[in-house]
Amino acid sequence: MVRFERETHEVNGVKIVMYAAGSGQPLLFLHGAGTFHGFEFAGKWTENFRVLVPYHPGFGESDDDPTMLDMHDYVMHYVELLDTLGIEKVNLVGFSLGGYLAARFAIEHRERVIKLALIGPAGLRDKDNPPADVLALSPEQLPPLLVSNFDVIKPHLPVQPDLDFIADRYREMTTVARLLWEKPWDRKLPRHLHRLKMPTLLLWGEEDKIIPSAQAKLWKSLIPAADVEIVGGAGHLVLDEKPEAVTSIARFLS
Amino acid sequence: MSDVRFNFMHFMPYVHLPANHKEFKSLWVNFPNKYYDPEKAHELYQQYLSQLVLADQLGFDAIVLNEHHNTSYSMMPAPSLLAATLIPQIKNAKICVWGTPPNLEYPNRLAEEYAMLDVLSKGRLEIAFPLGTGMEYWANPVNPVTARERHRESIDIILKAWTVDGPTSYYGDFYTYRFLNSWPRPYQRPHPPCYIVGTGSPETIELAAELGFGYSAVFVSRQRALELNNRLRERSAAYGHEVRPDQLPLGVLTYVAETDEQAQREFVEHLQFFFEDGLRTTPQFLAPPGYISIEQLKARAALGDKLHGSFDFKTLSDALFIAVGSAEKVANLIGEWGKTMGTTHFNINGHLGNMPHWKAVKNLSLIAEEVMPRLRSRSASLQRAAE
Repeated sequence: MVRFERETHEVNGVKIVMYAAGSGQPLLFLHGAGTFHGFEFAGKWTENFRVLVPYHPGFGESDDDPTMLDMHDYVMHYVELLDTLGIEKVNLVGFSLGGYLAARFAIEHRERVIKLALIGPAGLRDKDNPPADVLALSPEQLPPLLVSNFDVIKPHLPVQPDLDFIADRYREMTTVARLLWEKPWDRKLPRHLHRLKMPTLLLWGEEDKIIPSAQAKLWKSLIPAADVEIVGGAGHLVLDEKPEAVTSIARFLS
Repeated sequence: MSDVRFNFMHFMPYVHLPANHKEFKSLWVNFPNKYYDPEKAHELYQQYLSQLVLADQLGFDAIVLNEHHNTSYSMMPAPSLLAATLIPQIKNAKICVWGTPPNLEYPNRLAEEYAMLDVLSKGRLEIAFPLGTGMEYWANPVNPVTARERHRESIDIILKAWTVDGPTSYYGDFYTYRFLNSWPRPYQRPHPPCYIVGTGSPETIELAAELGFGYSAVFVSRQRALELNNRLRERSAAYGHEVRPDQLPLGVLTYVAETDEQAQREFVEHLQFFFEDGLRTTPQFLAPPGYISIEQLKARAALGDKLHGSFDFKTLSDALFIAVGSAEKVANLIGEWGKTMGTTHFNINGHLGNMPHWKAVKNLSLIAEEVMPRLRSRSASLQRAAE
C-alpha cells in the first residue's frame, strides 16, 4: 500500500488536512459528500502523479468553516490552496459532490486545469434522470445505494451503532446541507459548461443509484468534446468498486 | 404582583390512525396524508375548539396553541387561523400562540398577523418564537443549517416592526426590508408578551436571556427543566434582566378524576397514545443536518430520544411533569413543582392523545373547579417561594 504523507495547511483562516504521495504532474482529487470509505484507490495514481487528496473544509480531518456558504466559496478555497502550495496547473479529478466542485473550478479557472475527470458528478439538474436526494435518505437507506457490491463498503461501516461514526456523518451532511439544502443542483451549470475545453473525461458506474449514469448523456451534450466511460458492474462508488475505473483515469490523465 | 396562572394548552392531534399505522416509523414528515380524512378532522376541530372555549368559561387564564407540519400529532399548521376563530368566542382568557416558528414565514407577515390578533383580541395575545422542531425543517423550504441565525434575525425584524415607528428598514443576512412599516401595530405596547419555547439548547436559552423573554422547556426531564430555569435566571441576569415567576410557563400533562386509581385508569391509554402514536418519529427527522451542534447530537443520542415513540408510565411519570390523580394529589404535585421550579405559571395539557371529548370536558371541569381554587388559595405562598 502506498504511503501518503499527512499535511496540514491553513487556507484563508481554515485548517485543512491533505494527504499527498507520488511524484510527477499534480493530480488533485476532490472527494464527495461522505469520506467514510477512504481514498485507497488513489494509491494507484501515485505511480505517475503527485497525488493530492485534501479533505474539504467541513469534512473528515479538516476543520469547519461555517462562513463557506456556497460552491463558489469552495472553488476559491482550492484556488487559494493551490496558490499556497505554489501549484499553477493541476489534473483535476472530482467525484460526486467533488465532481460538481471540479466542474465549477474548471469553468472559472480553466487555465489552471490540465485535464479534467468528472466521476459520477453532482450539480446538474436532469429532469429525466433525477438523482437520489442524499439529504433526504436515512442513514440506513444510504449505504446500500452507494455500491453495486455491498461487500466493498462493508469494512468501512461500523458493526454496532457507533456514535462517533454517526456524528462524523452528521457533520459532513451539515456541510453538504449548507451548500445544497435549498437547491440540490446548480441552475447555472448548463450555461457555463461549454467553457470546459480541456481534455475531459466523464466516468460513471453503470448501476449508479445515487446519480444515474444516464445523466452522462446530458453532461456530454453540454461538454461535446468530453470522453464518456461507463463502467459495468459498479455503482456510485465506482473507484472503490472497480480497479479498472481507477486505471482508466490514470490512462486518460497520462 | 402576578398571581398564579393556568393555561389550557391543546395539541389538537388527528387521532384516527389507520390499523397498519405501527408500520410507519414516523408519524411526522413522511406519514402519508392519504390517511387524513377531512370529515373526521372536521369533527375533531369542533370538539377541540369547544374544549378551548369551555376552558375560558371555566376560568382558565389562557388558552395555548402551537404549530407543527406534516403530522397527525397536530392539526395546527396555522395556529393564527385558530386564534382568529377563537377570539370572538373566548371572552376573558389570554390567547397564546406559542407559536409559529418565525423561520417558516416572512417575518414582516408574522409581525402583521400577530398584531392583527392582538388588536382583534384587545390586547390578549401572547406569543412564543420557537425555532421549530427538526421535523418542521423537513417539511418547509428552509435550511436547517442556518436556522438559528435566521431565527434570530426574524425576531429582530418582528421586534423592530413593533417597536420602531415606521416606515423603517432592515438590512440583514437573510431579509432585506426597504420599507418595514407594519399596519396594524400591536394593541399592547410595546408589544405582546413574548416567550421562547424550546427543548433546552444552550443557544435558545441564551436568546431568551438576551431578549428578556420568558422561557419554557418542553419534553425535558424535571431535573433538566430545573437546570434550564436556573440557567435562564443566571444568563438573564448577565443581560440585566430579572426573570419574573410568571415568565416560566411550566408544562404539566394533567388528568384529574374522582380517585387516584380512577384517574390513572382513565388517562394512561391516552398518555400512551401521545408518546407512542403522537410523538413517534426517527432520529433523522428529529435532527436534520446542522439543526443541532455535534455536542448536542451526541448528548441527545445518549438519551436515546426516549420520548419519541416509546412508553413506560412509571419511567415517564418519574421523569416528566405528569400530574394524574385526585384533585388533592394533582394540586399538591403542581404546587410542589411550582415551588421547586420557581414559577407561578402552569401550562396545563388537559387533552392528550386520543382522549375522547367527554373525558377532556370532565378533566377540564375538575381541574378548574377542584384544582385551580386549591392552588389559587395557596398562591401567596407559591409567589413567595418563586421569588
